[in-house]
Order: sequence, then structure tokens, then C-alpha cells
Amino acid sequence: MSEQITEEKVAVSLEEDTCSRCSICYSLCPFEAIKRDTETGKFLLEIEKCQVCGICASACPSKVIDIYYYDIASLVSYLERAKKKYASDTLLIMCKGSAPDINGIESLFGIKKFVPLSVPCVGRIPEEVFIRALLMGIRKIYVLACDEDFCRFERGSPLEGRRIAALNILLEQLGYGKEAITLKRKSLKVLLKEDRCIACGNCVYYCPWDAPKLVSPGNVKIDMDLCHGCGLCVSMCPAFALDLENWEKDRISLLISQLAAEMTPPRILVFCCQWAVFPALDDEPNKNTRFIYLPCAARVDIAHVVEAFHTGIDGVLVAACAEEDCKLEGAGGKIQRPLAALQKRLGEIGYGEQLHFCTVAPRYPEAFTRELAQFSEKIAGIQKGESA
Amino acid sequence: MIITTQKPLDEILGLISPYKNVLIVGCDGCTQPPRGIREAETLSQLLELGSRQRNKQFAFKVNTLVKQCDSHLTAVALKDMIDGDLEAVLSLACGLGPQTIASLYPELPVFPAQNTVFMGSEEREAGTLEERCAACGDCVLGLTGGICPVSRCAKSLLNGPCGGSQNGKCEVDPNKDCAWALIIERLDKLGRLYVLEEIQPAKDHQAVARPGKITL
Repeated sequence: MSEQITEEKVAVSLEEDTCSRCSICYSLCPFEAIKRDTETGKFLLEIEKCQVCGICASACPSKVIDIYYYDIASLVSYLERAKKKYASDTLLIMCKGSAPDINGIESLFGIKKFVPLSVPCVGRIPEEVFIRALLMGIRKIYVLACDEDFCRFERGSPLEGRRIAALNILLEQLGYGKEAITLKRKSLKVLLKEDRCIACGNCVYYCPWDAPKLVSPGNVKIDMDLCHGCGLCVSMCPAFALDLENWEKDRISLLISQLAAEMTPPRILVFCCQWAVFPALDDEPNKNTRFIYLPCAARVDIAHVVEAFHTGIDGVLVAACAEEDCKLEGAGGKIQRPLAALQKRLGEIGYGEQLHFCTVAPRYPEAFTRELAQFSEKIAGIQKGESA
Repeated sequence: MIITTQKPLDEILGLISPYKNVLIVGCDGCTQPPRGIREAETLSQLLELGSRQRNKQFAFKVNTLVKQCDSHLTAVALKDMIDGDLEAVLSLACGLGPQTIASLYPELPVFPAQNTVFMGSEEREAGTLEERCAACGDCVLGLTGGICPVSRCAKSLLNGPCGGSQNGKCEVDPNKDCAWALIIERLDKLGRLYVLEEIQPAKDHQAVARPGKITL
């Protein structure tokens, strides 16, 4: 068993021997995953604590931290491909957590055409990527980060703010104008449709931050300064009176039908937390599988799961963070109970095996791949059984 | 609140199978778990999924009502939901909802989608709904420290506990608390244990003559 664990591929590793022991990673890591061996002075990475935010790798002056996701080389090669594909000299780097749709981007930045680069937390983008983008012929860079207090990785958004301020000063000296890189901040918030609210109080109970308050007679008020945009209240609202910005019910429904139309059997739809499974930058996925990367597994709505089956999806896989990894006070795990109840009901009409819930973490990149492969095999088996 | 459980989908499909145009109507009242528009929509989709295997096609309409037990509110709201094509109504309310609708529309078949199980309250942390009142018509909570032995003791004892109380749990189901152990603990804390020295007479089961009726 222990052998298996040591053999599991990890997403981040620190080359202890060539490390210059500058301690930058140690001081930046939001999760205290890097520790200093007091006897040898070496810095060590504790992978179990690591959340793969990439801040350490982006800040390491000696480049001794190896990261599986979005390392400099893959970011740069993506930019080269994407620049051609989108035929634009404007780059927009977004934190996946706060990224709005195309209309939202236009109202925020006033741009319609751009090269998109969406990553879990912009704090992982080092100076080098900005410079390489400019060298590639990018003329203007916009960055959309989460509000500092709402950064899922605590230090990612503030760090990138400082980085961009320093870069802008350097770039101005080089003749790139006053603001070569424009940074804006935004965080997802819940939307309340007061006319649909039945004042049941579900949102008040489920919110990990006590943002909604139920006041008599029958009226919900939400303190948006407290809302972290996890979407749990939305998924739990019996009256569809709540929605999550960018992840509204109707928008997800539309996405499900679009994705279902692209797929070939056995069709597998994965609802996953953006922080449990990191998406590929631009890989074309296979025709059987499509992903909906939600801001938290808490926004996995049983209505959407049922709708997926309804639209012709053969298997629904839900991938969430384990409770100890949840960046939103365990909100993601709360969805397990309604999913289990749904699974029981699906079982009554012969769909029980076609829904699967798993917890994974990006620190073990192969963990999710394995879950998906096993589930795909099972769904393909069920299909074969049906056609036989 | 009134606690309900979903009927098995197979049973519901059986009930509504003679009809095509069915109104599925939720209730935003006290029913727990909530049986509002979300539940109504989810149920309609599950039934459609289930009907595919039976080569049956339904045309569902989905809506919700404020509280189905209020015949006036229900009558006003249902008027806009019921048209000539409608063949049956499937109600997500407790047992009161289908009866209200049946009395309003004598010509329309109405079916329950729920089994109504008890009156209770929600223990959110544990994720449970627990029976707390039996509507006995002769409340003893004042003598029992605010804990109802009629609904929470398996034997509805008025002079408990019985010999089956084991370490605070009930012999009938060791996962359930012995109500009388809770009552004694609470009365002790309140310094009111002496209340139990008086033996309570047998329960008057005619305190509410069925069917209950009160004139306002």
C-alpha cells in the first residue's frame, strides 16, 4: 500500500539539491506546504498540504520547482498557438474563479477580441510569461483577478497585483506606455430573485459565511461583502430564487445541451470543481467526454444532473475536492447528500449506476484520470449490455 | 412542519400512466424536505426518464403553489394552471394537498407523489427530520420538560421510562434516543424532577374526535 502511494505521480516537486535556499517559496506558500529542515537547511515540499496553486513555482528564482500544470513552457507554447487561433494582439489572463462570459469581459475591459488564457488563480503567472507574450507581438495585456480577500489561494491575487505594478514600471521605462498590463478585480456573487423567494431559510443554513439573513416576515437579505460565490445556496434553493453570477441555471442548461450535441456515445459529462480538476489549456478532449468546470462542487445542481440524463448524456461524473482541500469552508462536500438522494431515485428508474461522485485533488494528476477511465469503462459496459 | 417522503418513482408512474397531460404541482408551504418548484421540475424529469423505458410519453406541466392546504389560495392559483386538456394532477404536497385539489376539481383525478409520515423538525447538522408532535390534542409538554413522550417514545408512555431504556437509547431502535431518558435529564437540570412523582392517568385518546374539526 505504502509503495503505491510513493509511486503516485505528484504535480509539484522541489529539487532540493539545486535549491538556492532563498526561502521565497517558503514565505509565499499559503498552505505551509514548504518547510525548512532545521538541521540541513534544506527546503522540503509536503505534497499532502500542497494545493497546486503554483505560486512557489512562479516565484522561484532558481527554477527548481517543477509543476505539472501550466508551467512556463506550456503557457508560452499555448500562447503561441492561441495567438494564431484568435488572431488578436490583446491578451486576457483570467482567474477561472472570477472569469465572466464574453459580455461581462466587454463591459469590464471594453474588448471583444482577445487571446484568452484562463488559469486557476492568476498568482501562478510569472513575469516571464508577460514578457514572452510581449515578445510574441502581444501589444496589450489585461488581467482579471479575484478580489484580494476572495482569492481561493489567499495570496495569489495580491501577489499578482504587486507583480503587475512592478512590471508596469519596468515596461514604461522600456517604452511600453504607462499601463502595459491592466489589472482588474472581480469576484463571483450570488444573485437573489426576491419575487421567487419562499423564505424557507435553506440559504441561511447552508451559507458557510452567514451572508444571507432571513428577516420576518419572509424576506431574505444577502450581505454581498460576505458572499464567496460558492453557489451552495443556489443548488439548495427549493424555489430557484438564487442564481450564481456566470453560472446561472439557464446558462448551465444551455451548456449541457450544447455539449451533449457535440458528443458521441457513450457520452460522459463531468461536473467538476475547478480546484479539484485542473483543465487542460487547449487540448481537444475526446468525443465521449465533456467538462463543466464549476467554481465549486457546491454549484453541482441535481436539477442539472437530471437534465443531463434527459438530454441524452449516458454518465454523469461529479468530481469535488476532499473536505480538507475545499477552499470554500467545506461547501463542496455539502452537495454529496442531495447527490446520494438523487442516486437512490435514479436507481428506481435504472439510472443509478450512471451517476458517480468522487473526490480528487490536482496534486495527484492521475487520480482524476483514473476515476474517469474507470467510470467510462463502466458506462461503456452498461451501454453494451443494453444494446445486446 | 409536515414531513413527507417521496413515493417510489415506479409507484408514481403506475398511478399516472393512464394519462398524458399531467400537472405536477409543488407546495411552498411547510412540507419538508422542500417540495417546491425545484422538486417539481426534478420529479417531472425523472418521470420522463422513467417513462422512456416504458415506451410511454407524458406531457407534463410543472408549477408550484404557496400552500396547497389553503383551499382559497389553491383555488385562485390553480385556475390559471388547469385547462381543458389537463387529465390529472400529481401533487407534491403532504396528504392535505391532493385532498384540497380533489375537492376543488371533483372531475379531475389527483394523485399524491409523497407519503406523509409525521410532524417534525429538522436537525440540520445530522441531516435528519425527526418526529416531534403527534397532534394528540392534550399536550403534556408542560410536565415533561418540553420533550414530547407521545411522539418520541416508541410506546407513547406517559409514565416512563420503561425497562427497555438502555443507556439513553430505546430498545426498539438503538439509534433512537429514549424520550424518557431525555425528559428525566432535562427535568433534573431544571430542578423539576419532582413533577414525575405524580402518576399520569391513561391518555385520553378521544381528546380529538376523528375527524377533527374546529369552527373559527
